[in-house]
Amino acid sequence: MQYALLIHENEAESYPAGEADQAWLDILSAHTAFGGQMARAGVMRGGAGLKSVATATTVRVTPEGRTVHDGPFAETREQLGGLYMIEVDDLDAAIEWARKLPIARNGSIEIRPMLPAPEGL
Amino acid sequence: MSALDRAFREAGGRVVSALAAGFRDLDLAEEAFAEACARAASTWGDRPPLDPAAWLYSVARRVALDRLRHKATAGAHRPDEPEPEPTPEDHIMRMDPPIPDERLRLIFVCCHPAIAPDARAALTLKTVCGLTTAELAQAYLLPEPTLAQRLVRAKRKIAEAGVPFEVPGPERWGERLDAVLSTLEVAYAQAHADAALAGPHAGFGREMLSLAALLARLTPDEPEVLALAASLHLTEARRGARLDAEGAMVPLSEQDVRDWDAALCDAGERLLARSAALSRGARHAPGPRAIQSAIHAAHASRRRSGVTPWPDVLALYDALLVVRNDPVVRANRAVALAQAFCPAAALAEIDGLGAVGWLPWHAARADMLARLGRHAEAVAEYDAALALSPKPAEALFLKRRRAASVAA
Repeated sequence: MQYALLIHENEAESYPAGEADQAWLDILSAHTAFGGQMARAGVMRGGAGLKSVATATTVRVTPEGRTVHDGPFAETREQLGGLYMIEVDDLDAAIEWARKLPIARNGSIEIRPMLPAPEGL
Repeated sequence: MSALDRAFREAGGRVVSALAAGFRDLDLAEEAFAEACARAASTWGDRPPLDPAAWLYSVARRVALDRLRHKATAGAHRPDEPEPEPTPEDHIMRMDPPIPDERLRLIFVCCHPAIAPDARAALTLKTVCGLTTAELAQAYLLPEPTLAQRLVRAKRKIAEAGVPFEVPGPERWGERLDAVLSTLEVAYAQAHADAALAGPHAGFGREMLSLAALLARLTPDEPEVLALAASLHLTEARRGARLDAEGAMVPLSEQDVRDWDAALCDAGERLLARSAALSRGARHAPGPRAIQSAIHAAHASRRRSGVTPWPDVLALYDALLVVRNDPVVRANRAVALAQAFCPAAALAEIDGLGAVGWLPWHAARADMLARLGRHAEAVAEYDAALALSPKPAEALFLKRRRAASVAA
């Protein structure tokens, strides 16, 4: 089965100096190592790290139309910071990878089964 | 009870578990089993097969296989040849393969930490013990559609999130077993909360007991499983002694030991002895459930000695505090301290907890004040406890104690 591991962290708390923070650089190299580990295990199907939430732009859709705003879709304590897509046998295997995933301080990793890709893709 | 009813009761859980593990699909297992029961109802008549459970299992397996085949060929418009129905004679003549016992695996599936906590026990009881949704709704005092909805959500989560139909490996065994045991504990505590067992809770407690006993048989080398099963046996044994003639709750240490179920007490003590022997053999300190069951066993020993060994109970609560330091344990320890040595010290401990608004705290505090002869304060504390709407049996008990303090 394919799962997305969605990484949520409190940016302000984990990386007070943003992308210049040593913790930011450290987590990037931890993720490089972790991604390599998943690739060697043959489970890695993709993923991306996201730039700081300060760079987010949101297009909000209502029946009246689409409007563009500064900032993430919602102000939350923890923000989406990146995701991995993996292919493993079952939820327990996905949980094992999530347990090992690098997190700077506090955070959450949401595990979501992915819909199968439409045929022909 | 008809042969079918009996087979459904005695083997339903085992058959459904075997089907679910085999097909990795709880819904398919349940539907196929229901279909097999319907076929049994229309074909057995007064000549049931020699082994009704094996009949149900093999028919349900075939039903499930047919459904899977239909699903696979649905687009191709090629209906399968219907298979000939086995007659009861077929099953008498032929040896059926034994039904694999997959109940342990299913207990782990249903109590997976990824399943909503309020659905785990109900799902386990339905799948592994064969309780119906109606029975579960009654036991949980929930409308049937609400409970059914919870079960549907849980089963959907299992199917769509890819919860594995496996017994966890050694590296996760402890953690996952703990989730199973907490599920049983919480469910049993719910079943046991009300001393007045006139309602459907009584049967539910028995189901939890048989589930714990089953788990103990399936994992005979796990001290904490044996200990939890021991606690449930010792607690269930007291069921008949928890109410007096007027329907008031009788506290454990004042129950008439002749009303305890001796066979359940014996079984509980045997389970605890095995649990303790295993811990000693592995040189492990006893876990929290082993200590709790030792507390139950200390109370149960009164059936031989005539007195509750309060100093032992107190020492066990001290040991329990080391591994499980929560307000419930601290309040219970204070109660044991009041009984063993010194209500004044116990009152100081209870006051230190300051759990205003928690019924057992007010009830314990009232009792200690009364023991110390501070009756006016005791009456006020009984009033505080009664204001928290205790169940009728406990309310009656508290009112009596309050009246005794008023009179003193």
